[in-house]
Amino acid sequence: MKKADFKLKTTKIGFKKRAQSSIFNLQSSIATLTQFNIIYSAFRCLTQSVYCTFAPANRLQLNYLFYASSLSSEFRKKFCTFLRSPTALLSFFRQKSTHTVSGYVIEKATGESLLGANVYLKENLKGTTTNQYGFYSITVPDGDYTLVVAYLGFISQEVPITLKTVDITKSFSLESASIETKEVTINGEKEDRNVQSAEMGRQKLSVEKIKTLPAFLGEVDILKTIQLLPGVSSAGEGNSGFYVRGGGPDQNLILLDEANVYNAAHLFGFFSVFNADAVQNITLTKGNMPANYGGRLSSVLDIQMKEGNNQRFGVQGGIGFVSSRLTIEGPIKKDTSSFIVSARRTFIDLFMGKPFVSSSSNFNGNKYYFYDLNAKVNYRLSDKDRLFLSGYFGRDVFRFKSSNSDFTVNIPWGNATATARWNHLFHNQLFLNTSLIFTNYDFSFEGGQEEFSFKLFSGIKDYNVKTDFTWLPNTQHTVKFGMNYIYHVFIPNNASARSGDVNFNLGDIVRQYAHDGAVYLNDNFEINDKWLLDGGVRLTLFDQVGPFDRFVNDPITNTPTDTIHYDAGQSVKAYFHVEPRFAARYSINHVSSLKASYSQNYQYIHLASLSGISLPTDTWVPSSDRVKPQFGTQYALGYFRNLKMNMYETSVEVYYKEMKDQIEYQEGFLPENQVNGNLDNFFVFGKGWSYGAEFFFKKAKGDLTGWVGYTIAWTKRQFADLNLGNTFYPKYDRRHDISVVLTYDLNARWTFGATWVYATGNLNTFPERIYLMSNGDIVEDYGGQRNNYRLPAYHRMDVSATYKIKKHKRFESSWNFSIFNVYNRYNPYIIYFDTAYDPNGKITIQAKQISLFPLIPSVTYNFKF
Amino acid sequence: MKKNVLKYILTFAAITALFTACEKNVTVEVPEAKPLIVVEGVIETGQHPLILLTSSLPFFGEISTSQILANSIQGATVVINDGTISDTLQQIPGFGVYTSTIITGEVGKTYKLTVTANGQTVTSSTSILPAIPLDSLWFKVDGNKDSLGFAWAHLTDPDTLGNCYRWVAQRINHYTYGPDSGKIKDSTFISPVGGSVFEDRYINGRSFDISFPRGAFSFSTKEDDENEEKFHFKKGDTIVVKFSAIDRGCFDFWRTEESQVSSNGNPFGSPQPVHSNITGGLGVWGGYSPSFDTIIAQ
Repeated sequence: MKKADFKLKTTKIGFKKRAQSSIFNLQSSIATLTQFNIIYSAFRCLTQSVYCTFAPANRLQLNYLFYASSLSSEFRKKFCTFLRSPTALLSFFRQKSTHTVSGYVIEKATGESLLGANVYLKENLKGTTTNQYGFYSITVPDGDYTLVVAYLGFISQEVPITLKTVDITKSFSLESASIETKEVTINGEKEDRNVQSAEMGRQKLSVEKIKTLPAFLGEVDILKTIQLLPGVSSAGEGNSGFYVRGGGPDQNLILLDEANVYNAAHLFGFFSVFNADAVQNITLTKGNMPANYGGRLSSVLDIQMKEGNNQRFGVQGGIGFVSSRLTIEGPIKKDTSSFIVSARRTFIDLFMGKPFVSSSSNFNGNKYYFYDLNAKVNYRLSDKDRLFLSGYFGRDVFRFKSSNSDFTVNIPWGNATATARWNHLFHNQLFLNTSLIFTNYDFSFEGGQEEFSFKLFSGIKDYNVKTDFTWLPNTQHTVKFGMNYIYHVFIPNNASARSGDVNFNLGDIVRQYAHDGAVYLNDNFEINDKWLLDGGVRLTLFDQVGPFDRFVNDPITNTPTDTIHYDAGQSVKAYFHVEPRFAARYSINHVSSLKASYSQNYQYIHLASLSGISLPTDTWVPSSDRVKPQFGTQYALGYFRNLKMNMYETSVEVYYKEMKDQIEYQEGFLPENQVNGNLDNFFVFGKGWSYGAEFFFKKAKGDLTGWVGYTIAWTKRQFADLNLGNTFYPKYDRRHDISVVLTYDLNARWTFGATWVYATGNLNTFPERIYLMSNGDIVEDYGGQRNNYRLPAYHRMDVSATYKIKKHKRFESSWNFSIFNVYNRYNPYIIYFDTAYDPNGKITIQAKQISLFPLIPSVTYNFKF
Repeated sequence: MKKNVLKYILTFAAITALFTACEKNVTVEVPEAKPLIVVEGVIETGQHPLILLTSSLPFFGEISTSQILANSIQGATVVINDGTISDTLQQIPGFGVYTSTIITGEVGKTYKLTVTANGQTVTSSTSILPAIPLDSLWFKVDGNKDSLGFAWAHLTDPDTLGNCYRWVAQRINHYTYGPDSGKIKDSTFISPVGGSVFEDRYINGRSFDISFPRGAFSFSTKEDDENEEKFHFKKGDTIVVKFSAIDRGCFDFWRTEESQVSSNGNPFGSPQPVHSNITGGLGVWGGYSPSFDTIIAQ
């Protein structure tokens, strides 16, 4: 076979001048000339004057094409010219034969932005999904298309569009596909996102769905629902902390309207701080974190508050066993601006006072409550500009006043966040969001008796500025880039005390300051129908700055013997790192795909947690001259497959994760060992690693929906200064984790929900034997292994039923009945040892198990008008 | 005060748990805890070795005083090898204490210990290092407490990293007050509260002052361990300080042992396993290179 003469030469003859046509014209002319239909994706056409790149394989194809078609040599020359012509490349910036359709997708009834709606062209299935502000942009060659917008639970819309000389703006208001409109068949919906995206380990949850699931004491809890997903383990009953793929609770970035929430728990974690009535979207990323997120090793939980209905005023609320809620929303100016205010408060304290508790009871004099306040306003300044202001304020307050002495304790703690955001559309393809964010978490403990009083406090404060660009040059690329700068103020652990007018000297209040900056670039590149690459890089800089005093502690007495002083602004220790992130998808066919990802993350701030349960006393500390940033590397591989027209979504993911420079307190550390010093003097450092497989089976459509998740995993840690340097399993190493979540829509009135969880028991360190020293010390022996005892497995089933009362005019209401722990399983919360001495000198040690919650029924009434 | 804070936090946690908590006795199936040989052995410069052997007890179940007494190991084979001679120790009748008249502790020597009893054999090794005496020792009143204070010392740590020390003290004067009037204040050397051992990891090659409070035996009910004299020496006390250079294995044992005993039972603390230098068993085999100082507190 004669090989085609395909030498590329530069000649002055310009093809582009003659062919004032789009690539389509070229494509069709080639097709006409050669009887070969060139696959569209073989060309990456950016300009009217046609600039093409060919993958080597395609080049061969083309060779053959030219050879086989015996094209005129003149055409071949011309064709080859533009392949090399630099002017062709330049002209990319001049004219274009592609145009952009862009706009927003909102919910018709409320005007809320819809995140993750699929927007695509029916003809070629090219498209995108809306970003968190409901914005989309599609740039394609000119032509006539049908633009489709689809979002699960909403009625899809289709509009014919013609892209010719100008870019067009097209916004959509989607109507909810409620039960009444169920017969509407939704066609052509692009519901295979889980298969087709490069995303791994990402889950989006709808608040409406969460609300139909059983809730502990009727309190709808986002964090508890997150823990039902594979790869996410609960830290245990009465704990909002969660563990993602073997990482600690501090390795989860929890964002509420982009503001960091440092302690997402109320009442030691029995409830989470997120009021479901104020929340619009929840996205959990547990696998490959895209480059626009950073600062944590394990996961990102991105929670977006509702924007408020810009169509009409509305009120919704509820009364439950624990708290009551009230939300008011409405337009400030219809279609242009809206507000929402949402509040929640517990009322347990009302029952803990007189006359419910007798004055001799231990409960008398105690007062506990928490509350949350969410508020948000948004303005559509123009078609191109939107402004959002949002805030959250929540507090836990515990007061104790002894009934028989004048001893008092007051423990308030909580978060406050404020976010101001400005969306700007520079260009139909370039979307900008700039945010100014403030966040604060503080804990304090005030106690006193007569003249004497003391205060213990800790906290963290962030001032954050963030700019994120999204550039959608064409349907193949989604480019994100931006920067983020945070100024942290840490108050690790401080105490002050006074008696009358005398202040005790407990040392100066210690604060730590740090600059935390990042720039990133990420591109989601759809190479062809088979391959999709998502790659990015994040450059991070962390610099702890003065004023700061490093206390060099006496090793015996733990009192400072020497101090190194850093002046204000002086760098204590700076870290700079490059964090690459990659993910790829290979479509096996239109219902199944293989995905792989690799990511590196650095974490510069750490939560020093003693007990493993998230207590409000846990303190955040920065990376410093003593504490290195945590470093995580994660490899993951997944197989995704949808069945029966996307009715079922299934996936299997395996992962291996390595975590370096992990932090633990040194052995035998007690919280009282250190006040007003450098907490990090008591840390020891080591590494951890985790691997496992996650199986997920979800039924996305129908009357019965829900999922089954199963995780098998191993997590290990190794610290030179812990457990004699031997490898050990951390407390929350879970071999098996199963969750079953079901909701069933019986009819327009009744919805039923059920969840069942099973988890391998937590690990504890229990003594195996004791011995006596001649000085009278009784010493315990742990058999040389930290966490040598596994508690019994945890399992529990909850059920719920929601009854919607017939709508009366605009007033809607429902009753939610939940039963927590249906089969009344006594799950272990703590096992402790009770030592009994009898007069004959006998010592008896008995293990006792405390279980927190037996079967607990609850009723919640919700209303909306 | 700090302890109190913790207590209130605990109370708070307990109150919270009490809302709905239920409690029951459970059997914890920890791995079969076979009794292990516990060694508490000492070899000191110029002294014969002294080794106490006991058996460990299971953590759960009943322990009686008689059991504790019957717990010492009788008839064990205890051999010490100093590199040249192998010496089999003799049991002092009664308790499980073993000693020898042949081997005497010498600076620079390493002593290998082999104990065979109850079908188990445990081994260990310790060295007697050169003594590093304190430069000076004095008593200083604690703040505004007019007659109570701590023992202070000045130490110059040698330039080589890795030195470990143990401080124990004994009041050899007699009580002239209180219920124990007439009796010697301390019957033996006692570790100070907060720990008796330290190393030069952070103080290598430095010359510095260091203070030690007075220690007490576990479960001591003596009056001066409960009133304001607790942790303090008193003016008029004759204090003998035994300050020893010890090897790493001995240091690790006492550091972790004292840390565990002081943090025990605190659910907010992290577990503290004791690092033993006895292979196959528990306890410590320690070589001491002591120097003694005596001061009268005034």
